[in-house]
Amino acid sequence: MSTYGTTRHHHSPAANLTNRDRVTDYHTTLFRRLTWDGTVPLEIRVDPKELPANSDRNLECYFVQAPRVSYLPLLMPEIRRFFMDLVFDETAAKDLKDEEWWFETAEGTLVKWHWPIGLIYDNHTISASVKPSSSRSSTNVIPLRLILHLASPPNEKLLLSPSPDACKQAFMGQLKEADFIRWGSTKRMTGLRQQDQDGLWEGIKEHNFDDYWRVASKVTPTTAPTRAQSPIPPSSSASMVNRPPSADPGGPSERDGAYNVRSVPVRLYLPDGPVIQDLVPPMVDDNTPRTLSHYLTDHIPLLFPASPPAPPPSRTNPHPRPPPVPKPAYALVQGIMMPLETEMAWLGGCLAGADGWVNVCIGINP
Amino acid sequence: MTDSADRSLPSWASSDISETNEEALRALQTYKKKDADKVIVRFKAVGNAPIMKQNFFKITSSNRFQAVIQFLRKELGYKGSEPLHTYINLAFSPAPDDTVANLFKSFQTDNHLIVNYSTTTAWG
Repeated sequence: MSTYGTTRHHHSPAANLTNRDRVTDYHTTLFRRLTWDGTVPLEIRVDPKELPANSDRNLECYFVQAPRVSYLPLLMPEIRRFFMDLVFDETAAKDLKDEEWWFETAEGTLVKWHWPIGLIYDNHTISASVKPSSSRSSTNVIPLRLILHLASPPNEKLLLSPSPDACKQAFMGQLKEADFIRWGSTKRMTGLRQQDQDGLWEGIKEHNFDDYWRVASKVTPTTAPTRAQSPIPPSSSASMVNRPPSADPGGPSERDGAYNVRSVPVRLYLPDGPVIQDLVPPMVDDNTPRTLSHYLTDHIPLLFPASPPAPPPSRTNPHPRPPPVPKPAYALVQGIMMPLETEMAWLGGCLAGADGWVNVCIGINP
Repeated sequence: MTDSADRSLPSWASSDISETNEEALRALQTYKKKDADKVIVRFKAVGNAPIMKQNFFKITSSNRFQAVIQFLRKELGYKGSEPLHTYINLAFSPAPDDTVANLFKSFQTDNHLIVNYSTTTAWG
């Protein structure tokens, strides 16, 4: 850990490579760890109209601090245990089938089984940002209030069943889709042994960072700190196979690095929809990294207008700055307001969800 | 007031605050409008799946992928319970709420979106 941000300078190239690799690993691992450990508060209560007779109404609310990278179907066992064991009367509840249970937000929005919990939460935050009555407080984190319904799931809108198996299939599908976005094929994912592929989901189920990343690190690109000095243009990626690893100043990981992907797996969520997905090459035309600012100005310019350039220097103002522009909207990734100079490739390597996707949620400033 | 070039005006300093907010809400309405555009979807049978007479269809791009699956089922005459698996580019199954527009932008080849279908699970 002490090698991070080291000011020691080794002159031997071999030692330099090792140090750089360690710095890369630490930096990327740090943010992946932070992402993995992120949680959001959920407050779950049964629709009062559906509470079985003789339920204990003093305990009507289940609170849970849920991992952002996990899924509601994986929380169902503990939610079910709480309500069945502590709240519902045994006789009144005996006919309940938990495969018919489903969630809505307190505002009446259907909650999707296949969305990571962090995305459900952030999506709710941005939806609240456009409601006139909301007093947005950036310092308070308030629980997401969910209504649990016990019957008649709107299947045509839920699209997936709440079973852990369906959830696993959807999760694996997202990982493969992300793999395809990055490289134009899914051979990195399908090249994993079945045991390893299953291990990814097991890591989610058990919420074990090491188990998950033991496998995920084989398919998720890392960020190399020297990429700025040696950007590799996309057109030469075909010839990269022939370059010996020692010739890459960034280290052996750069060939599969986050800045060499074809496109970063990103989705853009606007309050109450739509969801926008498109190819997001990691570099822009002049071979500099694509930033969140580029990405957002490209796709939603009305909310993220291009900044006007600085005025030309004059005698009275030799170092002019671009005029400040009001920012009508902000971007959340993993619940954090992102500086617009954040690089898309970096987000792909460090702040993606466990399904490989960077979810950018756009909120409106009050 | 000294600000670095990177920081915009704090919201309380802007006299156009409510205008900015209203413009933002209007912008969101613009982005919510559903595209009437259609894109070409090309269905390709895999394995023993029946081959259709017609394989190219123009599908409204704002449709969810779920609608494409249902369309395919109808064309094949499959009832809801008969197994039908769909894939993009022989590689992955998209989430049913992914829109055709998004899938087309991300995965189109030669200006069409390839949807493979099979009666057995071919790929994950």
